Parts: sequence; C-alpha cells; structure tokens
Amino acid sequence: MKPPLRALATTGLLGYGYTEEAFHRAVSLGLDFIAADAGSMDPGPHYLGAGIPFVTRTAIKRDLSFMLDAAIEQNIPLLLGSAGGGGSAPQVAIVRQVIEELAAEKGHHFKMAVIHADQDNETLKEANRAGRIQPLGPIDDLTDESIDETHRVVAMMGVEPFQKALNDGAQVVVAGRATDASIYSAIPLMRGYDPGLVWHMAKIIECAGQVVSPRTGSDSVVGTLNEDHFLVEPGHPDKRCTRMKIAAHTLYENPSPYYLEEPDGTLVTIDSSYEQVSDRVVKVSGSRFEPSKRYTVKLEGVRAGGFRTVFFAGVRDPILISVIDEFVATCHKHVANEAKGLGISPDSYRLNIKVYGQNATMGPREPMKHATPHEIALLADVTADNEDLSRAVMAKARFALLHTDFPGRKCISGNLAIPFSPSDIAVGPTYEFNIWHVMEINDPLKPFPIEMVEV
Amino acid sequence: MAQLIDLADVLRSKNAGALLVTLDLIFENEDTYRKVRDSGVITPELIATRYGVSQNEVTIVPYDVAYAIKITIPRLYISGQFGDSDIYGAQQHAPLIDIEIPD
Repeated sequence: MKPPLRALATTGLLGYGYTEEAFHRAVSLGLDFIAADAGSMDPGPHYLGAGIPFVTRTAIKRDLSFMLDAAIEQNIPLLLGSAGGGGSAPQVAIVRQVIEELAAEKGHHFKMAVIHADQDNETLKEANRAGRIQPLGPIDDLTDESIDETHRVVAMMGVEPFQKALNDGAQVVVAGRATDASIYSAIPLMRGYDPGLVWHMAKIIECAGQVVSPRTGSDSVVGTLNEDHFLVEPGHPDKRCTRMKIAAHTLYENPSPYYLEEPDGTLVTIDSSYEQVSDRVVKVSGSRFEPSKRYTVKLEGVRAGGFRTVFFAGVRDPILISVIDEFVATCHKHVANEAKGLGISPDSYRLNIKVYGQNATMGPREPMKHATPHEIALLADVTADNEDLSRAVMAKARFALLHTDFPGRKCISGNLAIPFSPSDIAVGPTYEFNIWHVMEINDPLKPFPIEMVEV
Repeated sequence: MAQLIDLADVLRSKNAGALLVTLDLIFENEDTYRKVRDSGVITPELIATRYGVSQNEVTIVPYDVAYAIKITIPRLYISGQFGDSDIYGAQQHAPLIDIEIPD
C-alpha cells in the first residue's frame, strides 16, 4: 500500500489570495508539496503581449510569502506554473525576482529551477512546414508570414520539465506556461500513483477555491491521493466541498467534461464516481487516463494589434436613441472623410463604435435587437499603427459623435454626455492572439529549457 | 411550459480557450435535469438558430453526474481581437434564457 499523498493548491491563481486560516490548517495536515497555478489566458492577449501579470506584484508577494516559508520549514517542494500569468520570459522573471526578494528578506536558502516556455519563430516555422502544428479550433493555419508577425509565443509544458527540475534537486520550481494540471500531476506521477486519479485530482484542485462552498474570495484546497481514489477538501475548517461542485468542476472552461486533453494523453471521467464522505470531503474514483501516441503541446502567441484609444459617452436624448444605428453609420462616414483629409490612410486604423444598451455585448448574436432603452452609451474604439494616428482618428470620431446632425435633432449643443476630461483614453499598444494551435513534439523537455539557481 | 432561466440553477457562459465559448446549464435536481435533457428541445439546430452559427459548430454534451448540459460554440471574435466585447465570454448566455421546456 502506498502512503497517501497530500497536495495543497494554495490559490486558484497566484495573487488572487487565500485565507491564512485555510493555508495553515492545510500545512498542519502534513503535505507532500505546495503549489499554485499562476496563469490564465482569460484576461485576453494583452498580458502575454506586454509581458506583465494581471495581478499586482504586491499580491504575488503576499501569496508567495507563506508558501515559501512553509515549503522551507517542512522541506517540501513548492511548484508554480504559468508564472506571471502568461508564463513568458518577462512574466517568469517577475515571479522569480519576488521569490529571490522573499528569500533574501527571510534568510531562506534553496535550489530553484526556472523553466522557460518561450518559443522562437524559426523552430515554429520548421515544425509548421513539417505539418506538426494544427489549429486548436476555429483559427487560421499558420504560415511563415503569420509566424513572423508574432510578438511573443509560449508553449504549454506537461509534467516532464517539472519532474526533471525536481530530479535535479530543485525544491522550488518556477515554471513558464504549463498546463494547470501538470503542476499538480508531476510529483504524484513520479511516485507512481494511478495516472487517471492523478490527472483528475490535479484538474479539480488547480482552480482551488472554485470547488469550495461558500465561495467567498479565493481559497486553498487539499487533495489527498490514495491507491484507488482521491479526496478533496477545503483548507478552511469552516468551508465545504460538495459532491455536486466537485463533479461539476470538469465542466468549467472545457468543451467536454468527460475528455480532458493533456500533452501525453486524455483524462477520461466517464466512469468517475463522486461520493460525499463527510460534510466537507468528497471522494472520487474510477477516473482513467488514456495515453496518446503523440506528444502535443499547446501554443499561445500574440501579434501586435495596434495602438488603442477609447472614448465612452452617454446618450439620453430619445430622438437620437431612436435613430442611433443610422447616426453611427453617418459618423463612420464623417470620420473616414476627416481622416482622409488629415492624410491618414484607411488601412492604418480601425474604428468600432458600439452601442451599449442595444447590442454592444453580443453584437449580431443579441436576441433583443429592437428594444428601446431610455439611455444608451457609445463606446468608440480606435486602433492604429501608432499612438498619434490613434489619437487623431479618435479626436475626429469624438467630434463626429458629439456634433453630427440627425433627423429631428433638437439637442443642437451636443449629442453626448461625456463623463471624463480628458475624454479620449489612450491605452497604448494592444495585442491579438494569432497562435492558438497545438504542436507535436518528440522530446517533452526540449522546448522548455531549465535554469538551476542557488538562492 | 417553463423557461430555462427558471429551471436552471446555473446558467452561465465562459471561454473554453480563446476561440470557443461554452454555455453550462446546471440543474438543482435530477428530475429537472432529466426533464430538460429528455425534452428534445436543446438541439444543435435550436442553438445554431439562437446564436447565428451553423449546426456543425455546435456541440451539446449532457453530463448526468452533475445534472448539467454543456453547449459549446465558436466565439463571435477571438478573445481580445478588435471588435470583441466580452474577453472572458461571461455574458453570452442570454439567448438561452427564454427557451421553453414543455412540462
């Protein structure tokens, strides 16, 4: 019989926080390792593009502080995946720096592995030409040209780079982009636990507090692996895990709750059973892992999307609201003419005007197309090749929206309630996903160089 | 007849990656879940009509163990692309709310 293996998922996202009560109670249970996922692509392409986290450095430091102390005191590994949000080099560097800073402040010494996930364009082109890169859903195939446009691209590592880092003696692993479940599967798989149970437990605990009731903020979750089942419980003594929430978790952000793809196979939960063993603990069994013949890593990449300026204003005039679509179309024409007058080429900018209160959230998918609200808002969005152009086009758009006539117009001093001064908000460079693909590789370690550091 | 908004305990949308949006209907009890699942109302055809996508872009997966029905369709735009209004895909469930399920 294997001894139970206990893992702590401190928080669903490094920097989102957890309660000290939950954390310390979890540590008191006796842990085999502590981990946190630090990444998500949910906030969109900007953070990978800009190379910054979408949580603050202060929040990252707070979350890491207790984790590092406990890992050193208990002499157990601390694993972080998708460091800095997107897991790219500048984002990984920020988390690494916070750890080095904490270690210096507290006098901790340990061996740290920093695993990189950035991919270079030439390697991708070669793989693409060899037919080893496929789209992961509705997105264009890659070409040499589209790869050349890429500003930054990462691959998602599986368990192997974590395992190599640990075998080489690392106690703390700061990994770039990694599958969420790999962070939590690496150690249990090294110790020979059933892969179906390992991957399923990893998948459930990686979002930490999401499976905990009541859901007040982000909090810690403990997973305990045994030979033929695993247990999930909240770190916090007053919180609960319920069978339904645990079962429902594989629905979250996946197209299928039954088949969950990982680099070297698929977690299959068709025969999983979920049992409430106490008011706060759920037992799961029956999950299996089907190894794949190919080893694939997901690629996430962004290209520059232009410099953005936004403008937001309210409309309360009922006559304007009644003709808003025609009015917006007229304004588009005015802006095009005015921009031409400034010598701005139509290919160097994009203008989008959304009508909040009508269909801004869903666009053509909006079912209530003909509702007439008493108040709406216009959001003008410009991206252009550089900041000056972006501001120039927005200034023209603002003027057009504010002063253009419409049939029956009585509010002739201005069409808009502008809530801010300055009214035009320059956001800076933007990025767009151009790579959301999967790449077949032979060596699960090669794309992910490991740097060993004595801290 | 009852509408999905009244029958479902959870009615949500969320990105499934940057290219897809996934819609979850979760019911509080097995009876309600079975009633909706077996009604024959939630079909790729209906979802395609409601969202203006083609039927072969719709996947529907009933998930008995959690009393849930999962529907996945392509996003209107890739997340964060120029024109996108819902980076997280968290407000794309409204076309489902008034779907009528026979008693």
